[in-house]
Amino acid sequence: MSFHHLDQFATVPSPVTAMPPVARLVGATSVAVGAATLPLGAWPAAAALGALVAAMTLLARVPVPLLLRRMSGPLAFVLLASAGLLVFVPGDPVLDLGWVAVTRPGVERFGFVLARAVVALSAAVLLVTTTEFPDLLDALRRLRLPRVVTTALSLAYRLLYLLMEELERLLRAARSRNAGAGAASRRRLAAGVAAAVLQRAFARAERTHRAMLARGYQGELATLTEWRWRAWMVAALATLLGLVLVTAVLARG
Amino acid sequence: MAHIPDGFLSAPVVAGTAAAAAAVLALAAQRSRQRLEEREAPVLGAATAFVFAAQMLNFPLGAGTSAHLLGGVLVTAVVGPWSGMLVLFAVVLVQALLFQDGGIAAVGANTLNLAVCGGGGGFVLYKLSLGLVGEGRRRRVGAAAVAAFGSTLLVGCAVAAELALSGTVPLMPALVIVGGAHGIVAVGEAALTAAILGALLRARPDLAAAVAVPPRATRRWGYGVLALAVGLAVVATGVASSRPDVLTAALDRLGAVGGEPAGTAGSLPNSRSPIGGPWVAAAVGVLITFALVWGAVRLARPRRSRS
Repeated sequence: MSFHHLDQFATVPSPVTAMPPVARLVGATSVAVGAATLPLGAWPAAAALGALVAAMTLLARVPVPLLLRRMSGPLAFVLLASAGLLVFVPGDPVLDLGWVAVTRPGVERFGFVLARAVVALSAAVLLVTTTEFPDLLDALRRLRLPRVVTTALSLAYRLLYLLMEELERLLRAARSRNAGAGAASRRRLAAGVAAAVLQRAFARAERTHRAMLARGYQGELATLTEWRWRAWMVAALATLLGLVLVTAVLARG
Repeated sequence: MAHIPDGFLSAPVVAGTAAAAAAVLALAAQRSRQRLEEREAPVLGAATAFVFAAQMLNFPLGAGTSAHLLGGVLVTAVVGPWSGMLVLFAVVLVQALLFQDGGIAAVGANTLNLAVCGGGGGFVLYKLSLGLVGEGRRRRVGAAAVAAFGSTLLVGCAVAAELALSGTVPLMPALVIVGGAHGIVAVGEAALTAAILGALLRARPDLAAAVAVPPRATRRWGYGVLALAVGLAVVATGVASSRPDVLTAALDRLGAVGGEPAGTAGSLPNSRSPIGGPWVAAAVGVLITFALVWGAVRLARPRRSRS
């Protein structure tokens, strides 16, 4: 397991990956925020933003099945979370299920929440598919996030998969030592394993940090790529932001 | 649903929660910069990575349900409240950016819930219960468990309130379902926090005992504040049940300011139902469970008093 399965399309040459990471981050965030905050029932606006993301996907030469596959996990969660809307929004019942009824406003709200989620999610997935994490961190740093946060993120990035693999290894070992154990001892095991991982994480982070300091680390995780803004990039980002803004205004007007 | 996905929150709620979260984070960044030691940078990175990895670990609660660690109290108890909130914000950010657990537009709301309410609020509870039970490894672990329980309930109430203010779900079902689910999750969170912190206290006391226990004098204040809070809640229950329309009107006004445009799905659909009840009931419930669990910790204390 590694981060490469996440950003494998970051190295594909395309107009999207040529843009500086800041532009990609700002663009994706604006589309996601614009879509997520559409007023209920603004279907044309949601469709327009969806089309915008689709166009970006084609431009970035990211295969659509891959995008859909990545969206499916979070989307299943959204589906689960929004299913309750079908019955909890009061209104005319359209389908009586005995002790609960699916209401018409419930169906409308369910559908629109789902639409907003799909558009926002696709923008987010497109961003991580086309941007390497160090570049993303660089963008966050340029957007003046607190230094502590970017430092923590950069160290966490180095540790994340190591820890997750360690967690899996420890769990596998614990499970094989305790095959057939009941729920109570599984719970105790999970807690013990988590505690062991936390101790190892701290120890490893201190070692890593010392090694980084020895190699001249001064609080910044350097990226080799030099990003240059060109006129067309500025124009493209401005157009994107403009389109999102116009959609948002039209949806409310 | 501790990490709210995109699509569930309305524009005013997205903007409001983002502004509130940004304000608290700015304060946290300033405070933590003042006391950030050189050694702390790796610890913060490790804490971020750990909370993230631990959130991949699903914890069986029985009856087919499972939950994962939120980590608010655990992190703030180890690295302090200000750095802890920043770590939790970093976790929210990684979850949203890399793994789409929680939406990008909802980062503000999720930060407010998990970092500010879960982390900051959890730390306040931790400090308060530490003040009540005093020094000692067992008591520290007990205090953390109580705080983790309370902080998870706090997160659940915050999520429910945001969903209701967005007009996505009426407040009543939101509180019952989201709050209730977090009530179950809270048990797991308390157990995990206690287990992990207990193990850490044994292995690395320098890290886990970073938060000072308030002196005995402040402990009396703690009892006073607790009594006052419970008293206020009881009075509030009385007032709210006799005049339920005050809170309704307040919520209506908020809804009117934020306003969905008319003709789509209508205004807040819950404006007819009395809102005072569940809110106050939830607050009283939190206090009662807090008192109960704290009492249990207190009772368990004499067995190993001078540890």
